[in-house]
Amino acid sequence: MNIRHSLLLSALGCALPLLAAPAVSAAPEYEFLIAANINRNYVIGSKIVTTNGIFRRDVAGAWQHVGYNDTGISAFAFDPRDRDVIYTTTTNGLWRSLDGGKLWRICNDSEMTEGLDVAVDPNAPDHVYLALPDGIAFSSDRAQHLERREHGLPTRGKFTRALAIDRTRAGRVLAGCEIGIYLTEDAGKNWRQVLPTKETVADVQQSPHDPRFWFAVTQSAGAWRSADGGLTWVHVPAAPGDRPLYNVTFDVTHPNRLAIGSWGRGVWTSEDGGQTWTDRNAGLPAGARVWRVGVDPAGRLFASVVQETLFQSADFGRTWRPDALAGSAVKKFLLLPKAAK
Amino acid sequence: MKTLSCLALAVVFSVPLARAQPSFKGPMPDATVIVDASLRRAAYLSRIDEALIWRAAMAKPGEPKTFGLGEIVAKLARREDAAACSERLIELMKVPTGDMFWMFPVTAIYYLGRDQLTPEAKAAVREAWRAYMPLRGDTENHWAMYYSSLYLMAQQWPDEPGERWFNGKSSQENFEESRDYLLHWMELTTTTGQGEYDCTHYIGEYAIPLLHLATWARDPAMRQRGRMMLDYIFADYAVETLDGMYVGAHARTDDTTLLEKWNGFSSFFGWLLLGNCPPTVSYGGWGIYFVAAAKHYELPEVIYRIGTDRAGTYAHYERKRTRHRWRNSDVRNAPVYKTTYITKDYAVGSDQGGLLQPIQQHSWDVTWAVPDPRGVHNTIFSNQPHFSTHELMMYFSENPDFMPVTVTSQGKPTYISESKLLGGSPYEQIFQRDDTVISLCHVPAGANFEQVNGFFSKDLARIEEDASGWIFAQGGNAYIAYRPLAPYEWKPLEVGGKRLRSPHGKNGTIVQAAAVAEFKSWDDFKAAIRALPLEIRLEPTPRVAFTTLRGKKLVCTYGAAPIVDGTTFDYSGWKLFAGPYLNAEVGSGKLTITHGALERVLDFKTITITDRVKP
Repeated sequence: MNIRHSLLLSALGCALPLLAAPAVSAAPEYEFLIAANINRNYVIGSKIVTTNGIFRRDVAGAWQHVGYNDTGISAFAFDPRDRDVIYTTTTNGLWRSLDGGKLWRICNDSEMTEGLDVAVDPNAPDHVYLALPDGIAFSSDRAQHLERREHGLPTRGKFTRALAIDRTRAGRVLAGCEIGIYLTEDAGKNWRQVLPTKETVADVQQSPHDPRFWFAVTQSAGAWRSADGGLTWVHVPAAPGDRPLYNVTFDVTHPNRLAIGSWGRGVWTSEDGGQTWTDRNAGLPAGARVWRVGVDPAGRLFASVVQETLFQSADFGRTWRPDALAGSAVKKFLLLPKAAK
Repeated sequence: MKTLSCLALAVVFSVPLARAQPSFKGPMPDATVIVDASLRRAAYLSRIDEALIWRAAMAKPGEPKTFGLGEIVAKLARREDAAACSERLIELMKVPTGDMFWMFPVTAIYYLGRDQLTPEAKAAVREAWRAYMPLRGDTENHWAMYYSSLYLMAQQWPDEPGERWFNGKSSQENFEESRDYLLHWMELTTTTGQGEYDCTHYIGEYAIPLLHLATWARDPAMRQRGRMMLDYIFADYAVETLDGMYVGAHARTDDTTLLEKWNGFSSFFGWLLLGNCPPTVSYGGWGIYFVAAAKHYELPEVIYRIGTDRAGTYAHYERKRTRHRWRNSDVRNAPVYKTTYITKDYAVGSDQGGLLQPIQQHSWDVTWAVPDPRGVHNTIFSNQPHFSTHELMMYFSENPDFMPVTVTSQGKPTYISESKLLGGSPYEQIFQRDDTVISLCHVPAGANFEQVNGFFSKDLARIEEDASGWIFAQGGNAYIAYRPLAPYEWKPLEVGGKRLRSPHGKNGTIVQAAAVAEFKSWDDFKAAIRALPLEIRLEPTPRVAFTTLRGKKLVCTYGAAPIVDGTTFDYSGWKLFAGPYLNAEVGSGKLTITHGALERVLDFKTITITDRVKP
C-alpha cells in the first residue's frame, strides 16, 4: 500500500467498494471496519447490556469488537500515519485513543455534545474536524484541544451531519449541514455555502478515482453531484428523491459504481457514475429502512437495515444474503489500510 | 434522544416494592400546616426514616437480586449491615449499567460509606469508575446527574491521572469541567430559565444531584449553591402545586401523570417536604437517593408556607426556555411563558403553546382538588395531537425517521397515536388570563393529525352538553365550562372517561373554571357562562372574542398577539418569576421568595441567602 492510496482511503472515511471477482487481489491490503450500535430497545440509563462501537471484520468474515463499548457511536476515523490513533464520535462528543483502543479520552468538554462525524486531514494528519449538532470544531493537535471554527456558517443551519476532506489539498473540507453544503479551503477558518438545501445534507463523499468528482445525498432534496471538486453541484434526478437518503458510497475499483442507502427507498445503485440508478432492494427485508451502505475490500456491498441483520451482496445488490450483527444499526463503514502503522 | 423515564423505573420497581409502604398505602396525611419549626422538622425526619426503613428491609438474606444499590444506600444511611453492603457492592460493581443513573447512586453510596465500607468495596467502586464508560446523555437532567457525580468523585479521588478515569481525563480536569458545567447551568437557569422546567418526574433528577452537592461538596461555595438551587427548584415546584400535585404546564410529564395528577415523582417531594400528599409507589423509585441525604437539607419555612397555604387565590407567572434546538429553529432556546392560577379548589395552568419541548410537553390543564388523589383523574384539558420528524429533528441530533417508532418503545407509547393526549403542537396557540384558557389550533392539511383531543375524566362529577355549545362539567369543588370550537364526537378511553375528538384542523378550546362556592347552584353557573359575550370565527383562521367570568375582554386570533381589554398583549416584559410569592427579573440571578412576613432572597451572583421577617 503506497502512502498516497492510504491517505486517500482514510480521507474517504467510508467504504471504497469494488466488484466481486476483479478486485480480489486488493482485499488483503485493507481491513474492513464498521461503527455499529447493536442496542435494540436500549435507552440511556437502562440496564440492557449490549456490545456496541467499532467492529473489525476478520479473515473468517466474523466481526470482532474493537476498543470500548459505546452505545452512542456515530462515526470513527483513524490517523492515516498511525492506525493506533482512533477517533470516535458519540453521544459524549469525541473520543480518542492513542494506543489502538486500550485507553480512551473524551476530547471535548461540556460545551460540545453529540459528535456526529469526525474526519482527519490526510495532508495534515494532526488536523481533526468534528461535526456537531450546533456547528463544527477543529483541532490542530490530534484533538488534544478543540476549538469552534464556524465563521461563514449560518446562524440558523449549523447542524452538521457529515464531513469530507478533499484529499488533494490540506485544509479543504466539505461539510453537510442543515441548510446545505459548506466549503472551507483554510482549515475551517472560513466557510461558504456551495449548495443550499432546505433540510440536512446527510452525506458528502469524494470519488476515489477522480478527486474532482463528489457526490452528496440529502434529507429531502435527493442526490447531488459535483464535477469540479465541490464548488458547484448538479441535482441527480435519476436517484430517488422522495425519501431521506442517508449515505452514498463509491466503489474503489470501479469508477462508475456508487450505492445509496435510504430510509424508505432502501438500497439503490448506479454503475454509470450516477447517471442512472437501480432499485436493489429485492432480497432485503420489507420496508426499505436502510441506515447505511458500504463496500468491503473484496467488493461486497453491505446494507445495514435498521435493527435487522446486516446484509451483504457479492453482485452489487442483485442478490443479498444475511451477514451478522442482528439488531444492529451501522453508522459508518470504513476501509483501513493494513500497511498503516 | 433516548432517555429513561423515572416512571418506567418506578413501574419496574413497583410490583415487588409496593408492599407495606406505610404512607403509600395508608390514609391521606394530615395536611394541617405545622407552624412549630421543631415539629415540622421532626415530621420531615420521620418521613425520611419511613422511606429508609422500608427500602433497607427490601434486601432479603440469600436473595442477591433483592439487594441492589437502592438497598445499599438505605442501609448505609441507617448505618447498618456495612459488611453485607460491602460484599454486595463488590458484586454489583462488576456489572455496572445505567450511565448517569448509575453514577449518582454509586456516588451517594461511596460518600455515605466512606467510614463504613470495606477497603475492598471502595476499591471496587474506584475500579468501576475507571472501567465503565457511562454516557453523558443529551438532556439537562442527564448532565446534572453526570456532572454532579463526576464532581464529587473527582473531589474524592484527587490528583489521579487520566488513566484512572473512564474518560481519560485527570481528576483535576474532571473536577474543573464538572464545576464549570454546573456553574454554567445554575447561571443559565437563574438568569434565563430552566430548560426542562416543571417536570413531574425529572424534578428528581435535579433535586438529587443538587442535594448531593449541598451535602458532600467540600467547596463551601458549591455547597451553598447546591442548597440555593434546591430552594430554587422546590420554590418553583411549591408555588404550582395543589395539595402536592404539580399542576399546569410541564416541559415533560408522562401518560400516567397527565391524567392522575398526583402520580408523579414530584408528589414524592410533596409528601417529603410539604407533608400534604401521599408518596408515589416506592417513594418515587429514585427517591431513596434523596432521602439518603435528606437530613442535610431543610426546606425553608417560606417555601413550606407557599406550598401549603391555599387560603387565597393567586396568579403566578414564569419564564422558562426550551430545550436546545438543533434544527428547524431560528433560536437555540426559545422563551417559554407560563401562567398558573391557583385556588384552594382548583388550578389552571398553561404555556403559550407551540413545540416547546419534544414528545412529553403538556401545555395546559385544569386540575381540581380531591380528598385523596390516588387513582383519581382530577384534570381536564385538550391538546392538538401532533408528531413529526420535524419536531424530532428540532430537538434531537439523530436521523429522524426511525425516532417516531423508537420513542414509542422508550416510555412514550402514545407518541404517534391519533388519540394521544400528551405532547405539544406547532399548530396550537394558547392564552390564559386568570382561570380562562383559550387554545386556538390551525392545523395544515396533511399534518399529523387534523384534530383536537379533549380529556374528560371518569372522575368528573357531572358532564352536560349544552345547546349553547358549552360543555359544563364539575370536578370536586370546581365548575368547568369547556367550549369546543368545532364539531366533535366522543371516544371511550381504556383508562376510563372519554375523549372528545374534534376532527377539524381549524379548531380550539375555551375553558373557564370557577369555584362551586361562587354560585348558588349548578344552574346559576351555567347561566352565568351562557351570558358571557362570545364570538367564534374559524375562517380564514381561528379567532375568539370572549369576555371572561372575571370581566376580562380577550380577543385571540391564531397567528396574532392576544388582545386583553383592548390592549395588545406583549410578552417582552415577562419576568423569570412574577406573582405574590416568587419574583425574579430576567438576567438577575436573584429570586425573592415571599410569604406573608417571611422573605428569603437567593442571590446567585453573590452566592448569598438572605432571610428576613418583614415588619
